[in-house]
Amino acid sequence: MIICRCEEVTYGELVETADKYGCSPRELKLRTRAGMGYCGGRTCRNAVDSIAHSSTKRDVSQITLKYQPPIRPISFSKLGGVGNND
Amino acid sequence: MSKVIIIGAGPAGLSAAITIAENGLNVLVIDEYMKPGGRLLGQLYEEPNGNWWNGIKESQNLFDKAVSTGVEIKLQTPVSNIEESNGIWNVYTEDEVYTTSHLLLATGAAEAPLPIPGWTLPGVMSVGAAQVMTNVHRVKPGERGVIVGVNVLSSAIAMELKLAGIDVAAITLPKMNMVTKESGNPLDVMNSLLHVSHMAPSAFVKMGSKLMKNDFLKRMGITFFPKNGVKMWDIPIMLRKAVVEIYGESQVEGVTIATISPSGDIIPGTEENIAADFVCIAGGLYPLAELAAVAGCPFYHVEELGGYVPLHNERMETVLEGLYVAGNITGIEGAKVAISQGVTAGLAIVNSTDGGKQEAKLNDSIKAIEETRNKAYIQFHPDVKAGKQKLQNYWNEHWKAVVSQ
Ligand SMILES: Cc1cc2nc3c(=O)[nH]c(=O)nc-3n(C[C@H](O)[C@H](O)[C@H](O)COP(=O)(O)OP(=O)(O)OC[C@H]3O[C@@H](n4cnc5c(N)ncnc54)[C@H](O)[C@@H]3O)c2cc1C
Ligand code: FES
Repeated sequence: MIICRCEEVTYGELVETADKYGCSPRELKLRTRAGMGYCGGRTCRNAVDSIAHSSTKRDVSQITLKYQPPIRPISFSKLGGVGNND
Repeated sequence: MSKVIIIGAGPAGLSAAITIAENGLNVLVIDEYMKPGGRLLGQLYEEPNGNWWNGIKESQNLFDKAVSTGVEIKLQTPVSNIEESNGIWNVYTEDEVYTTSHLLLATGAAEAPLPIPGWTLPGVMSVGAAQVMTNVHRVKPGERGVIVGVNVLSSAIAMELKLAGIDVAAITLPKMNMVTKESGNPLDVMNSLLHVSHMAPSAFVKMGSKLMKNDFLKRMGITFFPKNGVKMWDIPIMLRKAVVEIYGESQVEGVTIATISPSGDIIPGTEENIAADFVCIAGGLYPLAELAAVAGCPFYHVEELGGYVPLHNERMETVLEGLYVAGNITGIEGAKVAISQGVTAGLAIVNSTDGGKQEAKLNDSIKAIEETRNKAYIQFHPDVKAGKQKLQNYWNEHWKAVVSQ
């Protein structure tokens, strides 16, 4: 069963990695790439977070998987401030 | 002073905009969707007093009022980043960077997924997507659907699908795994359903909420819960069955369900298929707070509020100067609460620009939120008030720590 569609990471892979390393959500993401795809984790973030929290305790005062701008897709030229799309 | 900017044209953002404009300030509302109204647009249900809550109409009223008070609204404009420099907030959109001294985030909520084998097949969608297709775009998501996930939202939307003439074969649980957790546990689901029993025309659920005050009775209730479910608006709600797989060649053709034990374990050999051409996944809602996160707000995880919430006080101020929040970004609640919160955020913004002339009104508006909350028809978490209190405590601790540094 696919959890991260962008990076094609499966549930089995995530559970196994979380089990083996007792990962925090961030570590689980870095080890598997789940959440690092082009949707920026918008689809799989919660699932990755839940799986990691099955083996580690949640720190309630910290977002576990960081948000990075841009939080919506944006073209490279716009992002870089270049005036044209050519 | 510069224009106030509000991100999100849902009930919270629009009511804040109206409040601010009525007090003579310029306001710009930015929203990425093509219509104003946010998640209010899809809502349609009958309240206990017999009134219909029609989200499209309510949204139109808010929008008309905003326009007539002079609010500027920019739709189809996603905000990709916000950043503070020298006391000014920069709001980044694809084509322009807007600046303001007062920025309100009213970005609402998002839906959490429940991964189930086969959930990547075409025809599987979130229950909110089915709601928007049906009620906003007037397109049937399919002829016959199965809803996975039993909660307030899924039962409300099931009824809306029914009203639109779409067959809902069943509302049932997802197979338990490390992601679905409580959503796959019959006892947990039963517990969370008991407090919304007033919404259920089903005698069984109504009676249940009276009888099942203690854990023993609840366990008995779930043990003897009819395997084929109880019917609500003629839709079987199955708490003792779970979807183990969504099947189909190149799109959804149906789901395989199996009987589960009271603690959620699959009973082997009980699998059966239900034909369906679409499947809705209802994993619950969480505050959509991406922009508050990139801005650097401190966050707290408060279960009762639906997840991570940016730290704020009852005036809807965050700890960052000039940054405010209102609506579901502050915790998952119904549209009426969001509207009340918008008023408070609006008054707080006006108050900070006119030297505190709004104090009395502001305090009244805070009380009004509380009253709206007490009367709310839809409650997403039974202990939302406890959640609000937790956040208030975190706020107090935060400032104590700041002062002592
Ligand atoms: C699928 C779903 C169904 C719901 N059904 C009900 C129901 O039946 N009854 C009920 O009382 N409540 C329901 N709710 C709860 C609902 O969130 C509240 O009722 C209410 O709509 C919250 O108002 P809001 O203004 O906080 O947010 P919303 O109404 O969600 O509005 C937020 C707006 O912000 C915009 N936005 C978000 N991020 C950005 C960005 N980066 N850039 C630009 N614009 C952005 C969105 O496009 C949206 O229009 C539902 C919520 C969801 C998600
Ligand atoms: S689904 Fe995981 S990053 Fe997009």
